Amino acid sequence: MFNATVQRIRTPAFKITKSCKSKDCHSVLYMIPHGRRFLSTSSCLYGKILPRKKPRVVHEIAGLEPITYADRMHFVPGLAKPWFPPWDRGWKDPSHYTSPKLEDMPLHKDKTCYMFNQRTNVLEGVRQALWLSKSVIIKGLPAQILTLAEDPANQIENQDERVQDAIKNSRLWDTTEPRPPRERFCPSLLHRLLHLCGGLQVTCPELAKRILAEKYSLAATWRRGEDVFQVRGQNGLLLNSMTPVPVLAGEEQIQSTADQALETFYPIAPTIDLQCTHVYQEKNDTGFREGYPYPHAHTLFLMEMGNTPKLFPEQLRAKMVMFTFGNALARAQALYGKEPRVLEKPIVVQSVATNGRLFQFVVFQLNTTDLQSDSGVKNLVWVDEDQPLYDFAKVRPFIKKKVVKVPAGLSGYQPNTFKKFLALYLHGAA
Amino acid sequence: MSVGLLSRALSALSVSRAASPQIASVSGVSAALTGSRGFMTSACECQNRSLWKQREKYTVRPIGMKKTGGRDYTGRIVTHGIGGGHKQRYRMIDFQRLRYEPGREDQPIVEKVVEVRYDPCRSADIALVAGGSRKRWIIATETMEAGDVIRSSSAIGRMAVLAKEGDSHPLGALPIGTLINNLELLPGRGAQYIRAAGTCGVLLRKVNGTAIVQLPSKHQIQVLETCVATVGRVSNVDHNKRIIGKAGRNRWLGIRPSSGRWQRKGGWAGRKIRRLPPIKSFVTPAQ
Repeated sequence: MFNATVQRIRTPAFKITKSCKSKDCHSVLYMIPHGRRFLSTSSCLYGKILPRKKPRVVHEIAGLEPITYADRMHFVPGLAKPWFPPWDRGWKDPSHYTSPKLEDMPLHKDKTCYMFNQRTNVLEGVRQALWLSKSVIIKGLPAQILTLAEDPANQIENQDERVQDAIKNSRLWDTTEPRPPRERFCPSLLHRLLHLCGGLQVTCPELAKRILAEKYSLAATWRRGEDVFQVRGQNGLLLNSMTPVPVLAGEEQIQSTADQALETFYPIAPTIDLQCTHVYQEKNDTGFREGYPYPHAHTLFLMEMGNTPKLFPEQLRAKMVMFTFGNALARAQALYGKEPRVLEKPIVVQSVATNGRLFQFVVFQLNTTDLQSDSGVKNLVWVDEDQPLYDFAKVRPFIKKKVVKVPAGLSGYQPNTFKKFLALYLHGAA
Repeated sequence: MSVGLLSRALSALSVSRAASPQIASVSGVSAALTGSRGFMTSACECQNRSLWKQREKYTVRPIGMKKTGGRDYTGRIVTHGIGGGHKQRYRMIDFQRLRYEPGREDQPIVEKVVEVRYDPCRSADIALVAGGSRKRWIIATETMEAGDVIRSSSAIGRMAVLAKEGDSHPLGALPIGTLINNLELLPGRGAQYIRAAGTCGVLLRKVNGTAIVQLPSKHQIQVLETCVATVGRVSNVDHNKRIIGKAGRNRWLGIRPSSGRWQRKGGWAGRKIRRLPPIKSFVTPAQ
């Protein structure tokens, strides 16, 4: 019997680590990995350690008080394990703060709220954004902006040359590395183009009454059917102006939208991909305080650099529509209050999104804040999709089988895209 | 000597703790290895090696996997021939087609196929379907394409339903002779049978409240007629016709070469021609 016992203890000994010496092991448990003893014959002969069984589940019965070994101050087999309340520090220590559960938070509500934030990537793209903002889409930019684009009086001198210089500066000449990354050339290009447009202040002094703002927090809340929706986030650049943007669609066009039906996409619900949360605050905030000298949001510039979830052009346009709608709605509620109504003076907000090469233009006109029902006057959205500013801007030429397919430098420049960009910038001032 | 060791071990486990904390502190060994009161509770289940598969909440996002190489927690090879291969990410597949969204239990489950793509973890292709406010991955059937609308229902009517490929119905509602896949053995358990590429089972007959299905291995099983199955063949039908072509392709799939040593084959080897086993019934008499 003793020989068998010796065998049991010795056989797993090959698993002892080198640092553990037998002289120091006062207890046999030092020699066995996991600190458990296995006195069954089959596992000992092969040194196999069977996994530990889960401890039995103890159920709580309401009304019955379990007898615990708390009074005895030590474990007693047969008595229940005592439960002590978690220790409370008594004072608020900022480095050791545990947040309460969602249900205990002060802003917790039973009704869910669907949030659209800057990380949202909607499945159905623009159609979903149109349903959420109760709008009707028109392809192409409105006529007033197109005439502004074509008008030669509004052009910058040497416009094409200077735009091409701006592109080359940001895409080719910015770093000594082989290629500047998109996170670098996209904002750099946008700022250079804005600087070019800003140079027209000499001829058009109205343009001076604008300011660019970055990292402002937008919040807008509205109800659609039985659900509450919110747009939140710090996104992009906002061009603010002292004067509101002039209304684009006439009265009859606005009334004709009441006849058009909103597009649904059964079986997918319009709330898909939106963040669903119980803890929220119904906030309406333009991001700027009362008395700010440039209260009217003019244009929103979004940059798609592929770091926060990479958005395809369709999803990027949906994000543009939602954030312009959020800006317009926050402004409307600041001006006219929270009551849902049809606006006599519709609010217009523009938006430009780029990924460094392709530009998307969106103009949103908010006609009504009565978004509860699906019928009635709807808002208008003009979308101009996928306008390339240039085709390629390569540092090294693309050569296949000794034939130059794409030459180095800037190629395929489209002047119309910058004209539209400039027209959107000048709209309201020129 | 052994008795002394045993007695010291038992004394270490005893109630009076005069010796054990000193032992633990002097030799610097952690409490887990000594006999002192600090037992490991659930440390076994929280191992880093299996942490990636312990996520409870369903997500559509692919999850990074840890490869085991056929080795278990002791470090020894348990299954030969596994190791290496391209890195894979696991996409959580929902095998229970009748899973209702919380809040929409009364409405029928109608979903639209968004995308059908390759899954590195199985031979079949998977489909991303969206319905209501949620998206999930399911095993794609043979002619499933992006834009299709599929239904899942639990209703068994008197007349058999016209089975459309991709829809899932209980076996009692399907006409006999339909090709099915993703069969569940107990209602609500989730599909466990007929999931591989190109496979399909045949609904042979319906008896009382049970149905008899022929599996791809020609075995026949008897399950309750409320068990849900999907209609059609599983996607990637030509999977068994592919040619590996070279040893390297097997290595890319994570299959290591077998031992080259010639070993005498026993009674297990060779073709066996036997009659089919009797129908295995998964219906307990109490039901």
